[in-house]
Amino acid sequence: MILTEEEKREAVEKSRKILSRHDSSKGSLIPVLQEVQSALGYVPPDAMQEVAGHFNIPSVDVYGVVTFYNQFRLTPPGKNQVKLCMGTACHMRGAGIIMESWERVLSIKVGETTLDREFSLERVACVGCCTLAPVAVVNETVHGKMTPTKVDGMLFSHRLANPQQKEDKPE
Amino acid sequence: MGDKVKITIDGKEIAAVPGEKILWAALDNGIYIPHLCAGRDDHSPLASCRLCFVEIEGYAHPVPSCTQEVSGGMVITTRSERVDRIIGTGFELIMSNHRTDCRACPRNHSCELQKIARERKLKLKPARLPRLDRDLPVDGSAAKIKYDPNKCVLCGHCIRACREKGAGVLGFARRGFERAVTTFNGSPLGESGCNNCTACALACPVGALALKE
Amino acid sequence: MSERKMAAAALEKLKEQAGINRASLRGKTLILLGAATCGRAVGALEVAKTFRDEIERLQLDAAVVEVGCMGHCYAEPMAIIYKPGFSGICYGYLNEGVASRLVQDFLVEGDPCVEFALAATGINDFIPTFQDFPRGIVEQKTVMEHCGFIDPENIEDYLAVGGYGSLAAALDREPSGVIKEIKASGLRGRGGAGFPTGLKWEMCSSSPESTRYVICNADEGDPGAFMDRTILESNPHLVIEGLAIAAYSAGAGKAYFYVRAEYPLAVERIKKALQQAAGLGIIGKAMLGAEYSLDIEVFQGSGAFVCGEETALIASMEGEPGLPRHRPPYPAVAGLFGKPTVIDNVKTLSYVPLIIKNGADWFKATGTEKSPGTAIFALAGKLVSTGLTEVPMGTTLSQIIYDVGSGIAGNKKFKAVQIGGPSGGCLPEETLETPVDYESLSKAGAMMGSGGMVVLDENDCMVEIARFFLDFTQKESCGKCTFCRLGTKHMLDILERITKGKGQPEDIDLLLELAEDVRAGSLCNLGKTAPNPVLSTLRYFRREYDAHINEKRCPSLMCKDLIAYYILPDKCERSCDACVGSCPVEAIFSNEDRIKVVNQEKCVKCDSCMVACPPQYRAVIKVSPPEEVLRREREKGVK
Repeated sequence: MILTEEEKREAVEKSRKILSRHDSSKGSLIPVLQEVQSALGYVPPDAMQEVAGHFNIPSVDVYGVVTFYNQFRLTPPGKNQVKLCMGTACHMRGAGIIMESWERVLSIKVGETTLDREFSLERVACVGCCTLAPVAVVNETVHGKMTPTKVDGMLFSHRLANPQQKEDKPE
Repeated sequence: MGDKVKITIDGKEIAAVPGEKILWAALDNGIYIPHLCAGRDDHSPLASCRLCFVEIEGYAHPVPSCTQEVSGGMVITTRSERVDRIIGTGFELIMSNHRTDCRACPRNHSCELQKIARERKLKLKPARLPRLDRDLPVDGSAAKIKYDPNKCVLCGHCIRACREKGAGVLGFARRGFERAVTTFNGSPLGESGCNNCTACALACPVGALALKE
Repeated sequence: MSERKMAAAALEKLKEQAGINRASLRGKTLILLGAATCGRAVGALEVAKTFRDEIERLQLDAAVVEVGCMGHCYAEPMAIIYKPGFSGICYGYLNEGVASRLVQDFLVEGDPCVEFALAATGINDFIPTFQDFPRGIVEQKTVMEHCGFIDPENIEDYLAVGGYGSLAAALDREPSGVIKEIKASGLRGRGGAGFPTGLKWEMCSSSPESTRYVICNADEGDPGAFMDRTILESNPHLVIEGLAIAAYSAGAGKAYFYVRAEYPLAVERIKKALQQAAGLGIIGKAMLGAEYSLDIEVFQGSGAFVCGEETALIASMEGEPGLPRHRPPYPAVAGLFGKPTVIDNVKTLSYVPLIIKNGADWFKATGTEKSPGTAIFALAGKLVSTGLTEVPMGTTLSQIIYDVGSGIAGNKKFKAVQIGGPSGGCLPEETLETPVDYESLSKAGAMMGSGGMVVLDENDCMVEIARFFLDFTQKESCGKCTFCRLGTKHMLDILERITKGKGQPEDIDLLLELAEDVRAGSLCNLGKTAPNPVLSTLRYFRREYDAHINEKRCPSLMCKDLIAYYILPDKCERSCDACVGSCPVEAIFSNEDRIKVVNQEKCVKCDSCMVACPPQYRAVIKVSPPEEVLRREREKGVK
C-alpha cells in the first residue's frame, strides 16, 4: 500500500509528540509503538524510523518488533475493523465458516482492507468470550453467536446506517 | 579468571575455565560438537539451532552444550542414542528448509552443514521429510553481496557481524515459520544503507549471504 | 510484636470511612448487573440502561451497579436484585423487555417474577438457592467468592468485604514470615507447570541484588481460557492485593501487571483499581503507614501467545521480540533487566490474600495432598452451562462436565474434553473419573495448564482438533528454535494432509517420531508441549486418524474436504425453498420434481442450508466421503 505525503507527515508528527513523553530506556519501546498505533491505526515506516532514532537502536530492530507482534499493523486499517476470534471454542463452533462469510461479503481475505478502506478483516487470538462462540469483534464491540446470516445482516445494516458514521473508539 | 577445572568429554580429560560453555571447551580440545548459532562471545547464547546437545552424567535429559557451563568433575558424552536422535532430526529439519544447491554454492566444501553431515554421518537430503521451500526472491541488489534467504538457517552470525563491522542494517523480523534475516521494512540490501563491508558474507556459515563472484 | 499493628490500624481507619460511604446504599434496592466482557457481548449494557431508565422514570429508590461475572456466563446477561425484605435473587437471560418487567413487577409491585429467576443467593421460601443445584454442591468458591457480587470499579466494595486486610497483616509481619506461610500452604503456580509459589518468592528474596521485580502474568493466551480475564474484570483488587503481598515478600519495590491487549476491559478496570488503591494510600509510598513502598504499573502485551512464557514475557517488557531465553538462569535469579524477578499468574496471586487471611491449614484442607486448594476452570464448547467454575482440586472431570456444566448440549454424545489448551490434551470418556490435579492430568495425557476446558461432542473431529492446536502453536511459534519453527510445521503439514484425505499410513509413525523429537529438542515450553494435542488424540482416538487415512472419511463429518452436503429427496418438501434462499453461492437448485439438489461443484460447505432447512423436514445431511453423494444418487436412479 502506498502512503500519501500527507499520511507520512502525520506519522512523523504524531510519533514525535508521543516520543516527547517517553524517556529512551528500551523498556518503553512497546508502549510507545502501542501509542503510535492507537494514534495512527498502524505503524508506518516513517514512524518506525522516528522511534528507532529516539531509542538509538537500528531501525531494523523496531521493524523486527513490529513484525513480531500480532497487534501491530504495517498498513492502515479499515474504518471498521472486524476481528474474528479463532480460539478453540469459536473454531469448534464454526468460526471458519464465519470467516469465510466475511471474506465473501467483503470480497477480501483475512488480513486485508477493502479498497475503499471501509472495512478490514483480521483474525485474533481468543478474546475470552468462549461461551458466546463464535465471536466477532467489530470496532471493540463483541458480537457473540455469529452465523453467516448475521454477517449478512450486520453488513446490510451498516450500509443502511451510512458509511460516514463515526465510531467512538475508547483509548 | 579462576583456576582451570578438570572435566571429561568422551573419556578424554580436559582442563577448562570455570564458567566456560561446554561447547567451546570441547571444540578447543579437538572434540567436535555440531553447532550453527553459537558465538564464542555471546553473553546469553541464542541456543536456537538445537544441534549441540550432549549428555552430562547426572542430568536427566540431553542439554545444549552452548548454554551449559562447565564445572569441575563434569562427565560429558557427545554421543548417545538420545543425542544422536535429537541432532539427527534437528539437522533433517534444517535441511528440509535449506535450499540445497551445493555445486553452485560459494560455500561448497566450506559449508557448516556439510561439515555436520560428514562428522555425524547424516544425509544432506532429508529422508523422511518433504522440502519446505518458501521460494523467496534472491536479493542481488547490493554491490558485493548476494542474499538467498532460502538458504538461511537463522543462526544470526551475519547480524552480529553487520553490527560489529558493518552498517547495522540486518536484523531478525517476523516470527514462526516466517522468521527471517532481513533489513528495515524488508527493503533490498542495495537500498538498505548497507556499506558492502561483506562481513555478513564472511560470517554466513551456509552460503545464504555470499560474495558476488 | 505489638508495635507491628500499624498497617492493620491504618486500614481500619480507611474502612471506617468506607463504611460511612456504603451506608448511603443501605435500605435501598440494589441491582447488581453482570457487566464483564461475557455479559457485555450479549447486551448487558443495554439491559443496564433499561434498568436505569425505568428506575428514573418511576422515581424508585434503587441503584444499578455494574459488577463482574459470577461464572454463569451461559445465562448472561444476568442480574442479582437485592430488594429489602427479599433474599437476593439472580435472574438470567435478560433483555430490555424482561428488565422493564422486573422493575415494574418486582421493584414496584413486589412480585419477584420467579419465572425469570435462576436461583436465590440466600435461603427463602419460594426460590431454590445456588447451593440446591448439583453445580452449587460441587463448586467451592474462594477466589471467586466475591466475583459478580461486588463493584469492581469501587474499592469501597472490596474494603467492605475485608479487602486489603491480608496486605495489612502481611505488612505487619516480616517478609520471611509471609513466605513461610505461603510455603506451608503448598500453593502451586496456577499458570501451568505448578511450581511452588513460596519457593519462587524465597529464591528472589534471598538474592544479593536489591533491585527486584514482581510481575503478574495476565497474558492469558490459551484459546478457550478466560479465567484471568474474568477475575481481573470482576475483582481486580484481589489480584492487586496478592501482587502487593508478593512484592513485599520478595522485597521488590516495583511490580507490573502484564495484561494482553485483547482484554481492554480488564486493563481499564485494573488501572482504575490501581488509582483507587494509590489514592487511599494502600499502594504507594510508605503504604498503609508501613516502611515499605511499592509502585505498580500496567504493561500491555502486544498479541503473542509465546509471551505467556516467562522469559519471552520479560523479553517483550525489555523492548524485544518475545523470544524465550534459555533457562537457567531462572527469572527469580536473573529476570527483567537482569534483576531477580518473580512472575506469578493471576490466579496464583488471587489465592495469596486468602491464605494470609485464613492460614495455610485452611488452604490445605481443600484439594489433594500434592495439589492443595481449589482449581478454576473455564468451561467452553458443547456444554449446556458454559462459564467459569471453581472446584476443589481432586474433583473428577465428570463432576465438572455433568454437575457443573450440566452435560452436553443438544442431546449429543460426549466425545472428549480438551484441557490445558495448546499444551494440553484431549481426554476421552473412559478417563472422566480422573481427578483434576497436576499429576493425574499429566498422567492421563493432558495438563492442568492454565485451566481452559473445552468440551467436544460427537460432531467434533479429533484429527481436526489436533490440527487446530498445531496450527495455533505454529502460528504463535516465535520461530527462534529449529524444532518448534520447523518441527511443528512439518507436523501441521501432515495433519493437514490427513484432514484433506491425502494422508498415508506411514504418516502416523512420522507424526509420533516428530512429536517426541520436538518435545525433546525445543527451547521453551511452548515447543516442548506443542505435540501434546497430537499425542493425546493419537493415543485415544487412533481410529479417527485411520478412517481419514484409509477410508478418506471423516467420521464426525467435520473435515470440509471429506464431506458433502446432500438433500434427502424423500424428505425434501417441494413447496419449501428455504435452503435455496439461504445459499450464499446459488449452489442449490430445484430439479424437475421440484426437489432441491446441491450442485457439489459450487457448494462452499458453509452449513447455511442445513441450518435453514425447517426442523420438520431435516432434509439436508452431511455425508462422508463426498463420493457418498454419487452412490446415493445412483441408488435413487436405479429405483
